Amino acid sequence: MTELNDNQIEVNGAMKRASGWGGTILYYLASLRFALGVVFLIALACITGTLIPQGSQVEQYLERHPGGQGWIKVADTLGFTHVFYSWWFIALLFLLATSLVVCTQRRFMTMIQTTGAVRVRVAGSFISHVSLLLIFAGGVVRAVWSEKGVIGFREGEAVSHISGSDQPMHLPFEIRLDKFELEHYATPSASGKGQMDLLLARWTGSREETAIPVELQAGDTLIPAGGASPESPALHVTVERILPDFIVDTGTGEARSRSEQPNNPAIQLAVSGGGHTNRMWVFARFPDMTTPVGGQDGGPVPLQFRYIVNPARMAAAVEGAPIKAYKSTVEIIEGGKSVLTNTIAVNSPLAYGGFTFYQLSYNPEDLHWTLLQVVRDPSVPIVYGGFLLMMIGLTIVFCVGPYLDDQRKKRSGAVS
Amino acid sequence: MTSLFNFGVAAYWGALVCLVLYMMARRRFLDVTGIGLILAGGIAQTAYIALRWVQAGRAPFSNMFESLVLFAWSVAIIYLVIRMRRNIPWLGAAAAAFSGIALSHASTYESVIKPLVPALQSNWLTFHVMTCFLGYGGFAISFLVALGFLVVNRPGSRVSQDTRESLDEVMTRTISFGFLFLTLGILTGAVWANSAWGTYWSWDPKETWSLITWCVYAIFLHCRFMRGWRGTRAAWISIVGFLSVLFTYFGVNFVLSGLHSYGSM
Repeated sequence: MTELNDNQIEVNGAMKRASGWGGTILYYLASLRFALGVVFLIALACITGTLIPQGSQVEQYLERHPGGQGWIKVADTLGFTHVFYSWWFIALLFLLATSLVVCTQRRFMTMIQTTGAVRVRVAGSFISHVSLLLIFAGGVVRAVWSEKGVIGFREGEAVSHISGSDQPMHLPFEIRLDKFELEHYATPSASGKGQMDLLLARWTGSREETAIPVELQAGDTLIPAGGASPESPALHVTVERILPDFIVDTGTGEARSRSEQPNNPAIQLAVSGGGHTNRMWVFARFPDMTTPVGGQDGGPVPLQFRYIVNPARMAAAVEGAPIKAYKSTVEIIEGGKSVLTNTIAVNSPLAYGGFTFYQLSYNPEDLHWTLLQVVRDPSVPIVYGGFLLMMIGLTIVFCVGPYLDDQRKKRSGAVS
Repeated sequence: MTSLFNFGVAAYWGALVCLVLYMMARRRFLDVTGIGLILAGGIAQTAYIALRWVQAGRAPFSNMFESLVLFAWSVAIIYLVIRMRRNIPWLGAAAAAFSGIALSHASTYESVIKPLVPALQSNWLTFHVMTCFLGYGGFAISFLVALGFLVVNRPGSRVSQDTRESLDEVMTRTISFGFLFLTLGILTGAVWANSAWGTYWSWDPKETWSLITWCVYAIFLHCRFMRGWRGTRAAWISIVGFLSVLFTYFGVNFVLSGLHSYGSM
């Protein structure tokens, strides 16, 4: 690889040390030693920022280190508890950007004064430095003009005012949550046919049990020991509802599942026969408790039930079946009209009207609620442009330049 | 599939033994066998990664086991590419030892294929991890060369100036390669973070340590190309850079928590 040194660049770039304090400052800003010194300080600051927990309040640090009141206050005052947003860290970035501007100008001058492989490499270096400046510019745009907020809402709710990270955000449209969905991976223990939950049913006083798989609408007909008769008819048992975490909603009086976790598995059965249908809840954790749903219009049901949750499935569920996806189907409403329906998931945001909506989180205790992040960030195209230029520049420096050097060496070797 | 993994481990350790014996006995068949074993280990690992990819239905780059396999693979492959142009016998032994250690260490982690959490279900996973580990592979080789350089450059060494210059050039080229891919890894990570969380940079410990590593190697490249730093000084920066790589990879996973915490699984 052909090397360039500071002297060469200074001559080519006509950046001689000028007289006066302005010239001296410019000279030092343009020097490699200054730029690398700043990079070194930024790296040190970054190390500090990862080793000291960032972003907590002084009180929280004091809770963790009760004896460290003195140094915690000093660290907080000097910005070591929020390094990346401290004035001195931003000043370091500003110094680096200033140095980059001067260096980039020098590289441009060198680029137009050189030829061949050197010119190509300097061009690559120039593009890389411009890319860094673009990324810095994007960072400034983001800091000044970007907006960020979160929306936490339930199915059926629509919002346009959002609590932002700095100040409230107002959307020029409404966004409504139609549906929230949580998907789990099917684990072998949960999906295997031999791993199903079972309902064991037997006639009162009998020892013979009938096993019914616990699936929605699964069922079986049970015939009394002496055969069916008008006094003792055959009864058909059907599984009507399955709730992994049974509770009764105190507001509506309705039974529902509090979560997907099998904290209180219960199934609702319909037992029909002799012209009557009785409904009841059977609980896995409380085998002696059967709760009727509505009145027992056919009198007491002469059946005993046991709901057996498969232990392997229970263990897998308690460990937590891996979450495959959580997604929110939302509707954009403008002027009272629905203009767009889309599903937002992690890695699949929705962009609309200059805002981007990201699936941030959900509440395992309330699966009808979702948390979205809303971002309006005009810096993204600038920063991505910087990324693209960075890769072009580095590819020129590290691939095209050396290739041209090798070619030149081969040619000169062939000539000699 | 496990036999491919075990074959890879055995091949790298076998290559180390052959190449160390070659350095002592200077028998050509030992050199050929050693390089052949690294090649065989690389092929076995390529097949292992490909099979695991098919079996998992996604790129197998999502946890410590899988990333260590990738790390070992990238070091072996990068060494083999260097070997096509230069023969540095002890570098082959060092690369084989590195890959052998990485794979042996990988075997201490759970190798069961697990489904991906929602945040990792992205095509960016493949680009981000692949580019980062190609970069790490380049830095690992440069680290090995730097260590070797410091050994051969000690006072009284009879190693020729040509050899020293050759080592210096390999160190510079592998760092250039690593820097290019680390940059690509950081940028693809930023784009991925923006599509997943709406922010391309959040000063997460892994991100920050990647930046620190990037700064160290940027200092190396500027010192090398602008100031003409060579030899011992360049070797020391290379070593510091790789220590930073190791902390970015292991240290952050086990010491600091953040968005990349799943990396320690």
